[in-house]
Amino acid sequence: MISEKKTGYRKNFSLILTFIVLMSVLFCLSLYLAYNFSKKYIENEFVSEKVNVLEQSIKPYNDFFQKKLPEVSYYNGYLDSATAASFVDTVLLEYPFVSKVVFYDSEVKNTPVSDGLNTGKFSFGPKDIYQFGSLIPQDSVLLFSRENTRNFIVGDDFNTLALKLASYIESLDTTKVPDQDELFSNFSNVRSNKITYLNIPRMEELKVYKQMLRNVLDPQPVYQQDMMCFHLDPYKIKIINSRPLLYQFIKIQPSTYDPLDTSQAYLSTEITLPGAFSDYKLYFISSKSFVDKEIRSYFLPIAMAILVFYGIVVLVAFLIYRNLNINQRMFKLQYDFVNNLTHEFKTPVSVIKIAGNNIKSATVLTDRELKLYGKILDEEADKLNGLMNKLLAFTQIENKAIQLNRDEIYIEDFIESTVESHRLKHPDFDFTFEVSGFSTFVTDPVLLGSLFDNLAENAYKYSPPERKKLHISARLIKGRVVFRFTDHGIGIPSSEINNIFKKFFRIQNQYNQNGSVGLGLAFCKELVNFMKGEITVKSKVNKGTEFKIVLPYND
Amino acid sequence: MIVYKKYFFLFLISLSFACQQKEGGARLIPLDDFFKSQEKITYRVSPDGLNISYLKQEDSALNLYVEDIASGKTRKLTNLKDKNVFFYFWVSNNDLIYYKEIDPAKRRSDAFIINKEGANERQLSRNEQGKMRVLEDQLIDDKFLLVSSNKRDSTVFDVYRLNVRNGAMDMAAKNPGNIIDWKTDSEGKLRLAVSTDGGTTTMLYRAQEGQVFKPIMTNNLITTFKPVAFKHDRPNIIYAISSVNRDKSALVEVDCNTGKELKVLFGNDTLNITEAQYSRKKQKMSFLTYETWKKEKHYLDDSIKIIYDDLDRLLPKTETQILSRDKAENVFVIRTFTDRNPGSYYLYFADKRKLRKLSDFNSAIREGEMSEMKAVSFTSRDGLKINGYLTLPLHVRATHLPVVVLPHDGTASRDLWGYNAEVQFLANRGYVVFQINYRGSSGYGKNFMSAGFKEWGGKIQNDINDGVAWLIEKKIADPKRIGIYGTGFGGNIALNSSYLNPGIYACAASNSGVINLFAYLKSIPPYLKTSLQFYYGIVGNPLTDADQMRKSSPLFQTEKINIPLFVCQNVKDQNTNAGETLQFVKNLKKRNVKVTYLENEGILFLAKNQESRHQFYTALEQFLETNLKNR
Repeated sequence: MISEKKTGYRKNFSLILTFIVLMSVLFCLSLYLAYNFSKKYIENEFVSEKVNVLEQSIKPYNDFFQKKLPEVSYYNGYLDSATAASFVDTVLLEYPFVSKVVFYDSEVKNTPVSDGLNTGKFSFGPKDIYQFGSLIPQDSVLLFSRENTRNFIVGDDFNTLALKLASYIESLDTTKVPDQDELFSNFSNVRSNKITYLNIPRMEELKVYKQMLRNVLDPQPVYQQDMMCFHLDPYKIKIINSRPLLYQFIKIQPSTYDPLDTSQAYLSTEITLPGAFSDYKLYFISSKSFVDKEIRSYFLPIAMAILVFYGIVVLVAFLIYRNLNINQRMFKLQYDFVNNLTHEFKTPVSVIKIAGNNIKSATVLTDRELKLYGKILDEEADKLNGLMNKLLAFTQIENKAIQLNRDEIYIEDFIESTVESHRLKHPDFDFTFEVSGFSTFVTDPVLLGSLFDNLAENAYKYSPPERKKLHISARLIKGRVVFRFTDHGIGIPSSEINNIFKKFFRIQNQYNQNGSVGLGLAFCKELVNFMKGEITVKSKVNKGTEFKIVLPYND
Repeated sequence: MIVYKKYFFLFLISLSFACQQKEGGARLIPLDDFFKSQEKITYRVSPDGLNISYLKQEDSALNLYVEDIASGKTRKLTNLKDKNVFFYFWVSNNDLIYYKEIDPAKRRSDAFIINKEGANERQLSRNEQGKMRVLEDQLIDDKFLLVSSNKRDSTVFDVYRLNVRNGAMDMAAKNPGNIIDWKTDSEGKLRLAVSTDGGTTTMLYRAQEGQVFKPIMTNNLITTFKPVAFKHDRPNIIYAISSVNRDKSALVEVDCNTGKELKVLFGNDTLNITEAQYSRKKQKMSFLTYETWKKEKHYLDDSIKIIYDDLDRLLPKTETQILSRDKAENVFVIRTFTDRNPGSYYLYFADKRKLRKLSDFNSAIREGEMSEMKAVSFTSRDGLKINGYLTLPLHVRATHLPVVVLPHDGTASRDLWGYNAEVQFLANRGYVVFQINYRGSSGYGKNFMSAGFKEWGGKIQNDINDGVAWLIEKKIADPKRIGIYGTGFGGNIALNSSYLNPGIYACAASNSGVINLFAYLKSIPPYLKTSLQFYYGIVGNPLTDADQMRKSSPLFQTEKINIPLFVCQNVKDQNTNAGETLQFVKNLKKRNVKVTYLENEGILFLAKNQESRHQFYTALEQFLETNLKNR
């Protein structure tokens, strides 16, 4: 490839290699960074996602607290054991973390009670106490009644909330309407694993209660109040693991739970439960290998994306390389063409030059010599002219710069004249032809003639001297004109058959050492295309070649 | 020039749009026009027939005026700002008693006496002394007034003789604790009392004031026994409206010595007598009012018939009602109305047979723009005839229209034919308004009324649904555009419909609706303790009927409600628990149910709260527009 250096055309493999290497380094680096990022991200998730788990797991509790608890008030003190039992049943069914409900069917009145709260003239005590729960036997539902007071425990949930009620009524401002949150907090008591709730009476009743603190009203009013104490079991909270791939185990543990054996192989975190469960926490634990799995599953799509990106870059590099290669081959073809053309032009020019020199140096020229030189000059000038015409016509057709003429020709006469002209040129050329199906044909005779000349010239050129034969057939098949040019020449190797219609392509062999530029078949193809036809070739090496031209039949 | 053309074109476009709106329906009447409060209300004639008094709206106060009929000279008696005269009446030719409002929500008021010149004003009762009711609006011995008051005990009313000159009160009869009503004879003697033990009412009678009351008959709470007056010549016989031993009330004479019914003056199985008028001057029954699809009169005295006939001649095709009269029964205050006209007040002089117009009830309403209220009836699924009223929007074909079902409020009440601003407002907005006197409504007899007891969310709901089915079958209703709206218990029905009958109603609206029957029972105030048993009967006993009550209390049923709701509550209403409605709305919003929630301070008192009324109906109109009409 000496010529490449000269023309400044270079192919730098090391540049491409450097590019590939740099890209690969970048690829590896990004994979590494992506992995580290995934790891950090998942570790952060492990700590932050616990809030979501808590939120979802505690939702039933919030629901219970905000929706179900106030339902006790809906009954406005009219709850009795049967209604309370059915209410509690719905609670136990809907909220499994409620383990037991103690119902205090109570009264507010002016007469002191023995069990309950007496402050001033205001008395608040239970009539009956019931307990409900899935594990409570029928005979122990009723805990307390006026006849049987033994199960009333001083200082239990009832008295705590009763005291709260009494102090609230004491400080109640009767001139303004208390807001709902204030009422809720004063009529409920949230303790560890226990919520006590007293139905919120209307403002009217609260005002009467306030009066009852100081005065005995006449007639003595009796107001019904329902208190319910919900015993909660934190271990019954249904944990909703929204990230099962992140948290291997989630457990409810007392706030003080802190195991010693948390080794390096485990990741753990915790979050405290709200409200009545505040003595407990959600404890999250996952083995490192479990978390690694999650890291990998997070990393994988990122790695895939990087890989795809890298693949595309490599593909683009390859395509650029391929284009460069093709361009280089094109360049070589054109270079060869210039070489050939120079050579082609050189022969007639040198002949003209020799003839010119001879004429110049000769003192006298005989008539014969004069005729000979005249003939030589004329022929060589024709050759040059022909070469230039061919080059010009090709360029014109390629650029579609000429117009298609439409003349009616007699096909037999047309072939006859072609054959005639070639016989004149090459007396050893054996021509045969046949026509069937049609006699006249509308086409551009100049272009068709040029096509015939080229193909005939090729057939002559690429045939060994003893087999310079050409058979032309013209047929009308299915409304199309089909020409076949069959010779017995050297044939075309099948590896080259796809290239023969390319510009400047020549098969290197003994038959085209001079006078060939590799334009002939490319020119033919352009012509056929221009005439809206098709050209195909079939060939066997050393047997012969058949060109088939299909042209539209315009009658 | 081109610019002008452009503007002219724009003008044409806007004009065409403006015209389009009017097509296919009546003029859209501004909503405030429907609910305009009257300027002058509560006309009364003085006993001597020389003066006429009325309450006049002045900014946010109602003040008492007296007008001399002959000269037309008016005098302002009270000078209230931001306060209303709650109620007033003449006690003599010269004196009036009026109640000054203290707390409208609790209906608390102070009573004053004043003479027609505006002088000699004295306070008769103070709010702290409890409520005071006047039993007999005529002065005895020119200075005593018979009143009942709960000043001794807020839960019982004793009878006092109130000296209007110095405000002194002597107890005339002490209430043993269970008397809920007292009745005087023509001389103002206390001779009849009504007691109750919660489940039944007992009539107590005495022949002389000094004697003890003796029980003469006991009735259950759905039986009407309303003493009207003592018969003049036979002091032991009373006229009474009674449904004892019959389904519908009739006017009867009862012997108080035996408690036996002597004869039926008027009444039959098809009509229900609601009122009877006794003429003190003529000392006989003058006429009675009964309800069929509308109120009608039956005359027991020809002289009163002549007056009404004359009124019919002067005011043809109009319902008339006597609001007040003088002692001589010559000067009358008349109120007129039709279904399409809110009516006017007139002064009628019987001797001259002449009318003088006092004022219009609502001058903004034009009769031609109002819709006719048609009485309709259908048969419920269990074969009961249910009556109702249908109001169609004007100028549209009565097919496939959006419907607003309007169940009336309350136990023991009903819808009646007449002008109803709410109905006309909805009809003007293009809705068919369907009022149904579901079972439990009054006016159709005891059986019909008791058929509705404890049927909230049950058979009452079926009646409403059957009415809707009937309306769909008649092709009037568009089955996809049926809404329901009600106030109080009507609101309860509307909200119940949203979950008991999913699929029938597109939306439901409630104004101060009863969302919790338990809370409703709690709201019965201490001095109405005697009626608690009665309400247990109607609404349900919270201990034995808890399941049914829960089923018909929307508050418990938020999980099942899925249609758009409009909920308005009066936050000042001490009888409801504002927190419950808030909780109700909150629970619905959590489930992403479309709820329009509105708070106001009550639109019970038409004279006030123009603004909150406007806000309420604008919101309701908008709600119905998006969720019903344009669905």
